[in-house]
Amino acid sequence: MAEISATGRPVDMLDQYRRGAGLSHSDLWLRYFELGGMSNALELEAILFGALEPSPHDREVIAQALNERFVELGGNHPVPYCEGDAVGRLDKNGQT
Amino acid sequence: MIAPKDPLGQFGVTVGYLNERAVLTVHGEVDRLNAPELGSILDAVIEHHRSVVLNLAESEFMNGWGLGVVAARASRLRRSGGTLTICSPSAMVLRMLDITGVAELVLVEYPDPLCHRLGAEQPIKTDGAPVGTKPPVLARRITAFPADTDVVDGTLRLVVALARVTVGGADGVSVSLRRHGRLATVAASDQTISDMDASQYATGEGPCVDASLDGRWFHAESLNTETRWPAFTPRAQALGINAILSSPLLAEDRPVGALNIYSRTAMAFAPEDQELASVFAAEASLVLTGAGVDVTDGQLSNRRNEVLETRRLIAQAEGVIMEREGVEADAAFSMLCDSSRRSNRPFRERAEDVVASTKRSQLDPELGQRHSHYG
Repeated sequence: MAEISATGRPVDMLDQYRRGAGLSHSDLWLRYFELGGMSNALELEAILFGALEPSPHDREVIAQALNERFVELGGNHPVPYCEGDAVGRLDKNGQT
Repeated sequence: MIAPKDPLGQFGVTVGYLNERAVLTVHGEVDRLNAPELGSILDAVIEHHRSVVLNLAESEFMNGWGLGVVAARASRLRRSGGTLTICSPSAMVLRMLDITGVAELVLVEYPDPLCHRLGAEQPIKTDGAPVGTKPPVLARRITAFPADTDVVDGTLRLVVALARVTVGGADGVSVSLRRHGRLATVAASDQTISDMDASQYATGEGPCVDASLDGRWFHAESLNTETRWPAFTPRAQALGINAILSSPLLAEDRPVGALNIYSRTAMAFAPEDQELASVFAAEASLVLTGAGVDVTDGQLSNRRNEVLETRRLIAQAEGVIMEREGVEADAAFSMLCDSSRRSNRPFRERAEDVVASTKRSQLDPELGQRHSHYG
């Protein structure tokens, strides 16, 4: 499972959601960019792995991109939209 | 040493020697019936010779069984520092060698037109190119490979069979491809291996899943010490698997699947086996690219246009909300998010509603409400 970073945040939780959604890094970046995301693909990857701290807005765009995919797969917005939201835990269907 | 030709005179092998090279001239077609015989003769020759030439000038056809026999011996020779040279393959055999990746294991040569009797006279000479250099026409052949799913699947099954016999330590091989958004096994050497793949799809983890998603290479040297896939690893061990090598398959440089090689033995894959696996994966990727699997230029282009169009639409919707609500762009995005979630409708549709609402006198009341979380 995810290690905890110095900020107390799960380091790779977002990347685990990405895997759960069955998206490659490039697939997710395209969806993120589609929603107006401004980071490039490498920066997004760094954010997913916890190496780069996203702005609250970026965090929300990423969550929306992932949630749209989960909804397509029959889930219901399992990815929290910001740090303050309750952190969902995925089951195999992408549900929290 | 001569293998008798069959009663129909269709198959036979003549063996001659020139300096340090053993030259096997194949007569007739190589198929399931006689491939083992060719294999036995090759085995006998390889015992004593490091440099072996397989002259196919008099053999027009070789099916997957024959190719498997040749690939296995080429691999064994390579391991021992020797070389297998295939001389004068027909266009059909050359194409099979190339699309399956076996061409990477052997040298391909064409003799001087005046020299026909290999093993008896001056044997091998390329037409000015260095020995082993493939004619440039090969790349064009690959990209011209027909975009037919059956043909692609058939080729992938052949790649699986060849990887099974040539990669040292391989007890089973499969190819997974993403189709309609989900991974599926399109070729597997046996049911256990198919079950291995299915376990990964079911748990959503494992080297096959990761290689298919990330487009990177994943090697589990020993499942006894593996920690990356806690749900999948015990299932693999229960089926007797102890090492896995998954190489990504790419079409248009995008990951679309994986070539998976399984072994019952931990630490089974030596560096040369890993190299072989990557050769097969690279060749399979060329086939997939040539066949336009999943990401043809047209599809990619359409997707890019769609992405840009949606991005523009969302920016417009944000502008409308900013103007109406007197908020910044980030807050406008949050409101759209909130609306999409609460209405359980795609973000794009909500953005379209907002833009369309500019033609109406009033804003959708739901979009006019700011959720307390984002307020």
